[in-house]
Amino acid sequence: MSTPEYTRILDEITAILERFINKPVAVTEQTELVNDLGLDSLLVMEILEEVEDTFDFSFPLNNLSEIRTVGDFALQVQKEIGG
Amino acid sequence: MNTLNMLKETPTRNSIPLCRGEFATLTEALEYAATGETGTNFYSGKGELTAVLPYALLRDQARSLARKLVGLGLKRGARFALVATTDPDFVRFFFACQYAGLVPVPLPAAVHLGGSQAMVEKLRGLLRSSGAEAGMADPSFISFLSEAAAELKLKHVGEAGYFDDLPETKEPLRPFESNEFAYLQYTSGSTRFPRGVVITQQAVMANLAGITGPGLGLLDDDRCVSWLPFYHDMGLVGCLLAPLASQRSIDYLNTRDFAMRPRLWPALISRNRGTISFSPTFGYALCARRVRPTDVAQYDLGSWRIAGTGAEPVRPDILEQFAETFAPADFDRRAFVASYGMAECSLAISFAPVGKGIETDLIDADVLGDRAVAVPADDASASVKEMVFCGSVLPGHELEVRNEQGKPLAERRCGILHVRGPSVMSGYLNAPQATREALSADGWLNTGDIGYMVGDKVVITGREKDMIIINGRNIWPQDMEAVVEELPKIRPRDAAAFSVPGPQAEETVVLVVQSRNTAALERDQLIEEIRRRVHQEFGIDCFVEIVPPHTLPQTSSGKLSRSAARRDFLQRNEDFSSSSVPSAGQAGG
Repeated sequence: MSTPEYTRILDEITAILERFINKPVAVTEQTELVNDLGLDSLLVMEILEEVEDTFDFSFPLNNLSEIRTVGDFALQVQKEIGG
Repeated sequence: MNTLNMLKETPTRNSIPLCRGEFATLTEALEYAATGETGTNFYSGKGELTAVLPYALLRDQARSLARKLVGLGLKRGARFALVATTDPDFVRFFFACQYAGLVPVPLPAAVHLGGSQAMVEKLRGLLRSSGAEAGMADPSFISFLSEAAAELKLKHVGEAGYFDDLPETKEPLRPFESNEFAYLQYTSGSTRFPRGVVITQQAVMANLAGITGPGLGLLDDDRCVSWLPFYHDMGLVGCLLAPLASQRSIDYLNTRDFAMRPRLWPALISRNRGTISFSPTFGYALCARRVRPTDVAQYDLGSWRIAGTGAEPVRPDILEQFAETFAPADFDRRAFVASYGMAECSLAISFAPVGKGIETDLIDADVLGDRAVAVPADDASASVKEMVFCGSVLPGHELEVRNEQGKPLAERRCGILHVRGPSVMSGYLNAPQATREALSADGWLNTGDIGYMVGDKVVITGREKDMIIINGRNIWPQDMEAVVEELPKIRPRDAAAFSVPGPQAEETVVLVVQSRNTAALERDQLIEEIRRRVHQEFGIDCFVEIVPPHTLPQTSSGKLSRSAARRDFLQRNEDFSSSSVPSAGQAGG
């Protein structure tokens, strides 16, 4: 799965997440959005706005339910933007 | 697409005389609205108009669809589950059910990160409780609904198209009459132990007449704007049925689009000169926090005459912050209207007067805490609390403050609020015990809310039932405790859930869990697991405290005392509310 496109998306998402969280947690591919970063549903929405604007696409709501890790997140974005 | 460019929103001014909810049934209200030009309008996450459904078209489409639904052969009064996404299909199906004599049951359309299984289970619980025989969801939710319905053998589950492809029957339609069901509402109930609020046509029409008439006094120039979900009583009754029953146009944003881009809300009000829009306090907070200061001046909120608020404690400081933020856009703080209501009373119980803004009662917090009396604060008061007046009860209804023995209390004494009148529910579906607890033989509804009266004005001070309210959503503590108690090695009554003010005074959910396990690693794993499960089910983060067995206090009858558990927690964690952001999941005890 480690295509250059995937790596680029992962890097962008990691950078966005680091801007939003105020915890001293290193964000990696395996980081869990809820358990490690403690994201609540409103903050998730704020982050999604950034991600949508960054990649210029609209994120299907039900895909959220399949995302646990930062890597899952990057994969979903890659799938949506057809990268 | 050219068709999109040709879309035009329905007008604000109508061609027919305004009638404020004086109808016997919802279909009668729609039949009248259909003679005018107004209707519903749907906007995308980019703020573009994507669909227009005038009431006239809604009437025709709903009748046509109803003839198809009748062909399903369901008995009159059968429940029809609708995953309540904000789109024309939901509205069309809701009214087709009215014409076909089927009871629509709006179901929540909200998923959380990693929460697909929790979503399926939630839907399954509601399908089972409602006894739904058919269900409809949009393409994004149909897989959840189908999976939830699989074990229950629902007769018909599909997307809108599945039902639209059915043949129309020739039989004349028999819409619901005034003494029959209007819908079944699940919003304010527990998800683990769901209770469906049964609302009749009479009840909802009485409430709609109260809301649009004496409550808010709708006018010819009014236009509504809403991002509230249709599975919430304020979204369904307040922002779909009330505009329809008063023939007003309404502009809708998807709840999720609002949560992602709150600025869409003021932008939409500006665009069509909206006059009425409601939100729980948290929506105002979110919008004020997330709007770009440089964008404020481009909005024009001068038309917004009723900025309603309710569904969670009204916070004057947050509303003031909103008013200040949007003052450059001509927002008038006198537009704020505090309200009080609940699904068990259709929606509304009381409104503060329109045009006065938030009016508050400054009381002595110590006297309130010690003696449950709301005494006006004076120079001697060490601690002052600002309470919000939520207006007087709708005409035709009665409101009483009672003590635990059911005795009415005098002015300014805190007690349990009871309401009686034509808007009150018939009961909870298939739950005689719960119905008896909430509804007396002579028609009084125990609201479970604590408050006091000053003259005829009501003030809400809290919940009797330990309800946790986060972002306008009611969460039952027993639901959260049940999630924890499903874990191995955790027994029933090992968990207590409640909320406390967090570092920024926002409500924070705390779970205190008893565990025999003292190893740090296993304790940390348990905390992780609890937070994961709570998030999947409720979409919120929580603070978990692990304590030794026998720590949680019980009442004399052996039940968990959440209020005592909360008090003990605050004593153990004195600096919880003042500390920097708590690292959720820290172990204590």
